[in-house]
Amino acid sequence: MQRSVFFNLTQIQMPVGALTSITHRVTGVLLALGIPFGIYVLALSLESSQSYAQLVRVCDTWMFKVVAIVFIWALAHHLLAGTRHLLMDVDVGSLLPAARRSAWMVNLGGVAVALLAAGAVL
Amino acid sequence: MVQRVTAVYMLFFIVFMLGHFILDPPQSYLAWHGWMMSSGISITASIFFAALFAHAWVGLRDVIMDYIHPITLRVLMLVSLAFGLTGVGVWVIRILWLGHG
Amino acid sequence: MKFSIFRFNPEHDKKPYMQDYEIELEATERMLLDVILRIKTQDDSLTIRKSCREGVCGSDAININGRNGLACITQVRELREPVVLRPLPSFPVIRDLVVDMTQFFKQYHSIKPYLINDEPAPEKERLQSQEDREKLDGLYECILCACCTSQCPSSWWNPDKFVGPAGLLQAERFIVDSRDRATQERLDDLNDVYRLFRCRSIMNCTEVCPKGLVPSRAIEKIRLMMVKSAL
Repeated sequence: MQRSVFFNLTQIQMPVGALTSITHRVTGVLLALGIPFGIYVLALSLESSQSYAQLVRVCDTWMFKVVAIVFIWALAHHLLAGTRHLLMDVDVGSLLPAARRSAWMVNLGGVAVALLAAGAVL
Repeated sequence: MVQRVTAVYMLFFIVFMLGHFILDPPQSYLAWHGWMMSSGISITASIFFAALFAHAWVGLRDVIMDYIHPITLRVLMLVSLAFGLTGVGVWVIRILWLGHG
Repeated sequence: MKFSIFRFNPEHDKKPYMQDYEIELEATERMLLDVILRIKTQDDSLTIRKSCREGVCGSDAININGRNGLACITQVRELREPVVLRPLPSFPVIRDLVVDMTQFFKQYHSIKPYLINDEPAPEKERLQSQEDREKLDGLYECILCACCTSQCPSSWWNPDKFVGPAGLLQAERFIVDSRDRATQERLDDLNDVYRLFRCRSIMNCTEVCPKGLVPSRAIEKIRLMMVKSAL
């Protein structure tokens, strides 16, 4: 006898908090993958004045800037969502209306920071 | 618990670093090198990296536990993660304390 | 009003399919369950669990336009058309809108949903002050409809290991009951990477609870208690 299950994620509603949460996870993984890259940048900046100067030149390229903005967005969202988590841990904003508001603020806040960074950098 | 505690430390460190870079950006390689290698900064930065790796370990382990069910694949990924984090940890020690990358 | 309903009869269907219905609402029909029962007078093969028709038994929990809810207390005119009705997500479907709740109840039973108190029984009841009784508000009202657990991503990925919001809410209900004496054992049982700690405060549970309960907060409170008892 066949068994079936309804499990089509595109047909199940995703409330704003769920979006914040999955993006928190995705940005976390993204940031983790960026760690080796970040440490490499740190190493170059400290190695010698030549590598430092070279690094400064690379920072001016548009490719570096685009990647930097994506990582700044990821960090901003992850940080804001994490702070929201910490506050809910101590029972601040854990009821539904407050939780929905804070979820919106996190989602928009991350994008806002990324736009600011884009403005400053480009 | 580990995630929360390391998160708070990193939050403060990042805010501090951001503040410093905006208010007093390094003017040259020597200025940057001197500041970064000063005992205060290199020690707090090392603690930052330790916190970062612990935080990343808990986070990524959670992701693996949620989505990867076959036991061999899961063990493989967790072990690779552990080795990967140890590797970058040693790299950071070399950069901040042993003078090379 | 247009309806699109999930149909699956394992006895003759290989795959589920969506069946469309068009119904003229009568003035007296206010709730979704009323309309579903009228559809049944036209197509008796449509299968749904229902009982109290007033939101206290939890039988008619289904997925309505992507969001879990009880059909008997959902205002039908407020729904976006076509109204898409599906069974609770991730639970095996027995037939049409009826799902297998075995896994859900297993998790519920695993938290020992009964008072554990070996002290000799008093002559009448085990007394509880007004204050202590108020601690159960927001916890005892759960009707075990499974709207929360079947909307929880952590339950989707690990249904056999993660207790789920309903089970954890009931665990909290017994942990805070002043007449229960097994608090530490209950906390120890949940202090496990899977049983409670798969919860990431996504809060889908609280979003869909038809009784307005807050499982995510109950889970937070259990976490805080665990930290306190460890320190």
